[in-house]
Amino acid sequence: MTRIKRSRWLVMAVAAAALVIAACGGSPTPGTTSKGTLTVGGFNFPESDILAQLYGQALAHAGYDVKYKLDLGTRAVVVPALKSGQIDLYPGYAASELEYLNKGKGEATPDAAATTDKLNTYLKDLSAQALTPSAAFDGNAYAVTKATAAKYSLTKLSDLAPVASQLVFGAGPECKTYKFCLPGLMSVYGLHFKNTLTLDTDGPATRAAFKNGTIQVGLVFSTDADLDQLGLVVLQDDMHMIAADNVVPVIRTAAATDPVKSLLNKVDAGLTTTDLFTMNGKVSLQHQDADAVAKEYLVAHNYFA
Amino acid sequence: MSVGDLWRWLTDPANWQGSDGIPTRLGEQVHVSVEAMLIGAAIALPLGITLGHYGRFGNLAINISNVGRAVPSFGIIVIAFLALGLGDWPIVLALTALAIPPMVTNSYVAMREVDADIKEAARGMGYRELAQVLRVELPLAVPLIMAGVRTSAVQVVATATLAAVVAGGGFGRYIVDGLARSDYPRLVAGALLVAALALATELLLAGLQRLLVPRGIRLLSAPVSHRVTAAKVA
Amino acid sequence: MPARLFLQADQPWVDWGWLSTHVPYVWAAVEQHLELTVIAVVVGLALALVLGVLAHVWRPLRFPVLTLFGAFYTIPSIALFAILIPITGLSGTSAEIPLIGYNVLILVRNVMVGLDSVPTDVLDAADGMGYRRLARLMSVEIPLAMPAIFAGLRVAVVSTIGIVTITAVIGLGGLGQLILRGLIQDFRTPLVIATVLCIVIALFSDLLLAGVQRLVVPWARNA
Repeated sequence: MTRIKRSRWLVMAVAAAALVIAACGGSPTPGTTSKGTLTVGGFNFPESDILAQLYGQALAHAGYDVKYKLDLGTRAVVVPALKSGQIDLYPGYAASELEYLNKGKGEATPDAAATTDKLNTYLKDLSAQALTPSAAFDGNAYAVTKATAAKYSLTKLSDLAPVASQLVFGAGPECKTYKFCLPGLMSVYGLHFKNTLTLDTDGPATRAAFKNGTIQVGLVFSTDADLDQLGLVVLQDDMHMIAADNVVPVIRTAAATDPVKSLLNKVDAGLTTTDLFTMNGKVSLQHQDADAVAKEYLVAHNYFA
Repeated sequence: MSVGDLWRWLTDPANWQGSDGIPTRLGEQVHVSVEAMLIGAAIALPLGITLGHYGRFGNLAINISNVGRAVPSFGIIVIAFLALGLGDWPIVLALTALAIPPMVTNSYVAMREVDADIKEAARGMGYRELAQVLRVELPLAVPLIMAGVRTSAVQVVATATLAAVVAGGGFGRYIVDGLARSDYPRLVAGALLVAALALATELLLAGLQRLLVPRGIRLLSAPVSHRVTAAKVA
Repeated sequence: MPARLFLQADQPWVDWGWLSTHVPYVWAAVEQHLELTVIAVVVGLALALVLGVLAHVWRPLRFPVLTLFGAFYTIPSIALFAILIPITGLSGTSAEIPLIGYNVLILVRNVMVGLDSVPTDVLDAADGMGYRRLARLMSVEIPLAMPAIFAGLRVAVVSTIGIVTITAVIGLGGLGQLILRGLIQDFRTPLVIATVLCIVIALFSDLLLAGVQRLVVPWARNA
């Protein structure tokens, strides 16, 4: 009867083994003893990549073994990941983290320190904590095209109140329930748009929608560097709906040793809003890699000295 | 999330109306899928049938479905979006590209499988080329051609789900939004609705095939390797 | 239908300069991609062989196996990856479970078809030669089922390579990470490179498997 020759079985076995070995070949070499492993997570927009790299590279330089889990998604994915220990820290935005955890109660204020303290009362339940907030700020911002601004004489968000019903608004999936998005626009500014489209959170779909006129008002972030080039202008938050969305590291208490905390706070202390804007520009407009941009910043500010 | 939560979501009347309601999303997904299938079939079927009838470019016709399966649908949809922007047309174009290969291959193989004796007999009876194709070869080839159409249709319907990643509509919207908000009832409902739609598509076309296949013709059996197996593309 | 060119209309589809400075980055993505694929196919094949043989030997098992994995198959992969996040986390496991499940369906069907296609006179001859059940299975039936199994394996491999890109939504993705980057940053180069590489790797794997098939089952050349 037809039996597969032993030599053929051998060939198959070797081929299979070779494939498996090749696939598993990327195991890390155990180097010198590190101070521990930390996994840094991030949201799925470029600035989060940059901030995560800033924290991660600073920690790596100090001797920690750093892993990254970037572009994970929205808070709804990142926060549970922190809670379950799959990531140890992520770069948060104080007011937004607070309003996410308190389910939109409205406790965030423009005071970064107070907001962070309140945030910490909620983070305790997740066995995590927020460190010292940075001066660097990036919050929700609402943009219109220059043409729309000219047509309706818009410079601030309250200018939208009379014309909102003629305009279409676009944002991400979490906007309908997120305090500093649609609910805030409706309650603080009394805006009722003609229609609200679910696109993405300050991503390519929102930009595309602006470009082809599908939306006239859209959610962006205040440190986005490509707005001017796209012909977009941000409307001023004159009634101070947006609270203290200062950058702040959110870290699991188990990982928050004193050296780690002081290192992260040191990085944050030197960070400004302009820095965010500049780094965003390098990634969004010049397509530089987030890790290269972060490294450049750290070197320039002597963190690696 | 419990089964109760899911049931509540599915039976909540608010989820059955409006621009984010199930009927609307169903319409969106069906709309792009049908358009892609119509355009795809209009291109693929005549092509495959003609090539199969004349027996030309066989290697190309058979291997095009290999290449088609090798194309990552996620990549194609994002490329279409970055090239053409928002709206239905980029999605339809991407889905059409994915729909064509299985139909070309199956049509080609189906026509090749028609018994040479039958073709000769038809010729002997005086059928001219086009009549021979239409009245003799095609009816025999229909089962395998329809199998290709079914494969394409199910793939298209499933892949249309990914449109939501580039701000498209359809049931994929429930999946993407559900993930973004940790709204698990929505997410799971979206998954089940897509599965149900894919199944319905399969059954509908199977029924259509039963209607189209003349009696007395059994399903031709092409070698397994030549028959296009339905691959999971999304 | 006006074709609205997206933002940076003058952006080339491939910036070769970028590629030349990012070979390690792309290669790391390829490695992760291959790792995810190989695990999914190998485990899927192993499971499919076991289930397929069991279902072949014990008829009643067929329907439940095909129905269970068939139902799994209809669920869109992006949903399964997302659903598994709270269960198995943002890990390779969440990626592998759906990938393996899909492969089991593709392969188990082919294992069953292959085993079914063994002519009964061959089975009789084997019995007549004194083969016992297990030996007959291992030395006669499975080898003769190989062409069908290989056909399924080729589909499974190509299919997996494509779906692995979607695992980018749970932070993995291999080449899918480049596609995601292309989307988020409106940057065409990584997107195009990743898509092309997926196609190339899939076609290469298909050819490779066809070659292996020729070595292993030389008597069935119709593939």
